[in-house]
Amino acid sequence: MTDDADADAKGRREPMRDPSYDGAFDAIVVGAGLAGSAAAVTMADEGLDVLVIERGRYPGAKNVFGGVLYTPTLRELVDVTSAPVERYVAEKRFSMLSDDDETAVSLRPGEWHDPPHNDSYTVLRGEFDRWFAEQAVDAGAVLLTETTVTGLVREDDGRIAGVETDRPDGTITADYVVLAEGGNSLVSEGADLRKPERAENVAVGVKEVLEFPERDEVIRDRFRLSNDAGASYHYFGEGAVGDAVGGGFIYTNEDTVSVGLAYRISDAAGSQPKPEQTLNAFKSHPSVAPLLRGARTVEYGAKTIPEGGSESIPKLVHDGAVVVGDAAGLVLNNGVHLEGTNMAVESGHLGGEAIAEAAERGRTDEAAFKSYPERLEASFVVQNLERYGWLMERVEADRDLIFEELPHALADAGAEYFRMDREPKEKHAEEARERLFETVGGLRGAAKLAYRYREVLR
Amino acid sequence: MSDTATDRESSAAESDDGWTVVVGVKQVPDSDEVGIDPDTGRLDRANAPAVLNAPDRDALEAALSIRDAVGGTVTAVTMGPPTATDVLEEAVAMGCDDAALVTDRAFAGSDTWPTSYALAEAVDHLGADVAVCGEETTDSSTGQVPPGIAAHNGWAQLTYVEDVDPLPEEGRLAARRDVEGGHERIAADLPVVVAVAYGEFEPRPAGLHRKLYAETDFEPLELTADDLGIDADDVGMDASPTQVGGMETVDPVDREKETVETPAELLDALSDEGVIAR
Repeated sequence: MTDDADADAKGRREPMRDPSYDGAFDAIVVGAGLAGSAAAVTMADEGLDVLVIERGRYPGAKNVFGGVLYTPTLRELVDVTSAPVERYVAEKRFSMLSDDDETAVSLRPGEWHDPPHNDSYTVLRGEFDRWFAEQAVDAGAVLLTETTVTGLVREDDGRIAGVETDRPDGTITADYVVLAEGGNSLVSEGADLRKPERAENVAVGVKEVLEFPERDEVIRDRFRLSNDAGASYHYFGEGAVGDAVGGGFIYTNEDTVSVGLAYRISDAAGSQPKPEQTLNAFKSHPSVAPLLRGARTVEYGAKTIPEGGSESIPKLVHDGAVVVGDAAGLVLNNGVHLEGTNMAVESGHLGGEAIAEAAERGRTDEAAFKSYPERLEASFVVQNLERYGWLMERVEADRDLIFEELPHALADAGAEYFRMDREPKEKHAEEARERLFETVGGLRGAAKLAYRYREVLR
Repeated sequence: MSDTATDRESSAAESDDGWTVVVGVKQVPDSDEVGIDPDTGRLDRANAPAVLNAPDRDALEAALSIRDAVGGTVTAVTMGPPTATDVLEEAVAMGCDDAALVTDRAFAGSDTWPTSYALAEAVDHLGADVAVCGEETTDSSTGQVPPGIAAHNGWAQLTYVEDVDPLPEEGRLAARRDVEGGHERIAADLPVVVAVAYGEFEPRPAGLHRKLYAETDFEPLELTADDLGIDADDVGMDASPTQVGGMETVDPVDREKETVETPAELLDALSDEGVIAR
């Protein structure tokens, strides 16, 4: 058909009666989260025609993450100066909570106040994901919302060649599929690309966003912040998550705070109270409640977090498809570090590059994508997961000690050490030491414990 | 760019069978997002995203179901600025064959009179056998435009319609309409304007490829006052007879909050106030 035949008297193209986009896009990205948008930006920049399919009303609508976004890779991909970040992280604080004690360490390095602020910013993903997906659209990708991918299209030889959705006439084919569907990866599981995660490797995350209606300066005053500096507080011990293995957090946004818990789903399903009860108990802990006094909940959400570490990473490449982000188990959540967002961006970017390279050579077989797992393996993503993989096992073995006995012992020892009475200081120090040794098993026990966790600092 | 759609159906000439259905839609502020400014007490519509008027989904479904029954085409039409194209895309995604944007500076500030006049000319221009509308829009709720279209064109009208039943052999459209205490079934000769009752039709979901097409490649037909043979003096603010005499906030009336124990006491009290005679 010539253009003339297509155009009507007003110079527009005649409407199509039964349009088909089969094969119209080079790649389909499932999910417009961080990993999906990173893959979409990367592929669109390489000149591929990209379709991003998102189930929410807008990207981020289904996302409950409110927390710290780490931006080293993101900065390479897009201009982040217009990104909707809340505050940069100027303080990291780690607290051990017993039922009524707190023992904390706070870090406020001066250099975190200077750009690029250690590449750590608090964000609200509802806003951030929307912005990031817009960057993908600006780069040329097409974003289709309110559409849920329900399955994969396979060729006779097993090659993945498109997706099925919940819409009528809902199947669409493309040479490449990027699975970035998140932690609850039903499409990947349904297509046997990964096994359902074992309960002990899945954490449940609950989060609330709270606002302070009475006045504007509450956050700066309570968290000792100036201008757009922010804080990330991490909590461990029974005062945070009861008997479960996990921890709690408070992050400061611009006008709100994100408060939440993440702990293992096997604990959530057992004797542990319901997640919202555990969160309420955490919020009313004597050392947490004053930070949140007068606050009002504006948003509540829950999600699953894969935390099986490097051993839980499924096969990342298949004929016609790559798996990225949470869907690939690429999340680091071990207590000391709570990271997933930077890994999501990195894996999405590397997965997108591998597809662009394969497209250049006209190939769709899994071997053509091998640069993705190789580069991921060599990157900080897998190195970090491997490095901390052992930690989860250790912590599990020592859970009573770490989450219950140690917080008590530390608080008691501290109280003893600084006790004001008419006994000499030496006696207080002696008793404090005894209280600690009693818990960890004497000097030998303390040495063993330190040896067991030496890798944290290596 | 290779991301262009292909047309699965051969572009064989459209058959003359079936009816030409035109459905009127409107972009309105999302009523879920319209807030009330706590300081002034006024509706804050500026921050509400623009969406398809909810009753128009029923109208679209009714229009598409007529096409399902008798064949033909459904064309969505809206009057507004170029940004109103979004609601036309939604209509095309749902299944409309085409869509037209009636847009012209001359229409700015039109009330329901010139609006229904312009739309009447548009549906006539598009050769409508049936013009379907929602019963009203959520941002003004007059319900005047569908009967206005019928009046301007001298067509029949069916309002508050709960179900449609096309009778192609007779060249008539029958409808069940809501009336006080029940319903009635009446039939009208074509051409006819149908205003559907909100919530009576189950809007169909957009197909995947149609939704993609509507949002990426579809271009609506644009119709100006000139295209419709409308004199600019007959539309717009100056041609709008609606006069808003003023608006005031009414203070609540203080209540006496007296309690009476028996019906007799109530009758006495009402009698004392002169509400009833005894």
